[in-house]
Amino acid sequence: MLNYIWGGLIVLSLVFALTSDINDFAQDTYRNDAPLPVTVVFEDEYAPTARRQPLRLEISDSDLVAHYGDSSMTGGSWEGILLQTSAGREIRFAEGVTLPEPLATICSETGQGDCRGALQGTPTGPEWRTAVTFSPVRWVKMNAIAAAALSFAETAVTLALGLIGGLGLWMGLLKIAEASGMLQALVRVTQPLIRPLFPKVPKDHPALGMIVLNLSANMLGMGNAATPLGIKAMQELQTLNETEDTATDPMVMLLTMNTASVQIMPPVTLVAIMGLQINQLFFSILITTGLSLVVGITAVKLLGRLKRYREVTP
Amino acid sequence: MNILQVFLDYASALVLPAILVGFPLYGMIRKVRVYEVFVEGAKEGFNVAVMIIPYVIAILFAIGMFRASGAMDFLTDLLRPVVGLIGIPAEVIPMGIVRPLTGSGSVGIILDMINQFGEDSIFVKMAATMFGSTETTFYVIAVYFGAVNIRKTRHAVPAGLIADTFAMLAAVYVVLLLFG
Repeated sequence: MLNYIWGGLIVLSLVFALTSDINDFAQDTYRNDAPLPVTVVFEDEYAPTARRQPLRLEISDSDLVAHYGDSSMTGGSWEGILLQTSAGREIRFAEGVTLPEPLATICSETGQGDCRGALQGTPTGPEWRTAVTFSPVRWVKMNAIAAAALSFAETAVTLALGLIGGLGLWMGLLKIAEASGMLQALVRVTQPLIRPLFPKVPKDHPALGMIVLNLSANMLGMGNAATPLGIKAMQELQTLNETEDTATDPMVMLLTMNTASVQIMPPVTLVAIMGLQINQLFFSILITTGLSLVVGITAVKLLGRLKRYREVTP
Repeated sequence: MNILQVFLDYASALVLPAILVGFPLYGMIRKVRVYEVFVEGAKEGFNVAVMIIPYVIAILFAIGMFRASGAMDFLTDLLRPVVGLIGIPAEVIPMGIVRPLTGSGSVGIILDMINQFGEDSIFVKMAATMFGSTETTFYVIAVYFGAVNIRKTRHAVPAGLIADTFAMLAAVYVVLLLFG
């Protein structure tokens, strides 16, 4: 199933991006090469020889609406700089200005770090009625998906390597727990509770201890500890796996209990976002996560009986 | 704050130090050569992190492309009439779609919703409950199965998605019940 979902995500992104870009072509969303009427106001007197001078660009509501054909747009005025060279005059918007769509997209697509457009004609006075032409914008979404693919691939490596510290720490501690007999004690105490969910794991197997630790860390909202413990539990379960690359029943159960998440404490990220409000949500999260855990466990048990998901032993 | 919450607050604050000190201490009592054993175990951390890289790249780049293509907006529009029938407000659909795919994406959605509806809004409560009660399913699959080189995931994906879908619906109804 993961194969289909994965392939589907990639193919669908292409389809959606292409649709959106073709739509932009057809509608000429960005009015490529068409001049947009604007008024340039010089803060100081206009200096014909100065290479750079500050200006304010004003676009009226009616001009913007007429140009882009979107009646909800409102104009405004933005700070910028007039740049005069022998090739002509152009405006550079000040850094950090917020422009309305689709101007914002035009700027982010065409500017190399700055947002600029060519101005027509010669300034006539402190208030200069002219028109601005931006570089043509094409293939916005196609560029976006290519850029996203690359940047997310980099994020993946950062994320994975970021786990090294936590993984090393927990795997070291767990090794001590194993060598000292602590883990075995934990297994003996907790297996009556946990083994019904993992009937295929042999009695007194260390995997049960890792599973208990992983689930406890999840419950307490300790996400950073839960991942290494879960990985360790998977490694223990893999020692019982007769195949090399196929998930076993206990593995699927452990995974689903983790994705359905078994937290009593809300996750740290959510506490950071919601602040004190999290207290109100304590029970709604507890009830929802409890119910979805039960549904997840039931789904694993039932789906595991289907012919296509049945365990294959080589 | 109720008693359960206070207890959990203390527990989650104390458990970590207790383990960090308790494990080696107990090991020393049982005459384990703690330092040597720790290093031997910790060695594995690096290998595991490197091993999961291809799995996480595969999952994240596909999800990144999907998000960048604007498919979310399309899906939201597509689902709006369907989920409306069972009483799910359209405002929370993006959260329902994004939550199993990306953690950072869902954080962004909650922040947007707080800006748009205000933090006391029932939609924010629903989205936050969705966030708090589920996990980034595809990332968890990549990391947990990647660490042991499992590629054939069997019913893990459908079971995870069933639980996620249920949690999204339950979050809406539970919030309506408690705050509606």
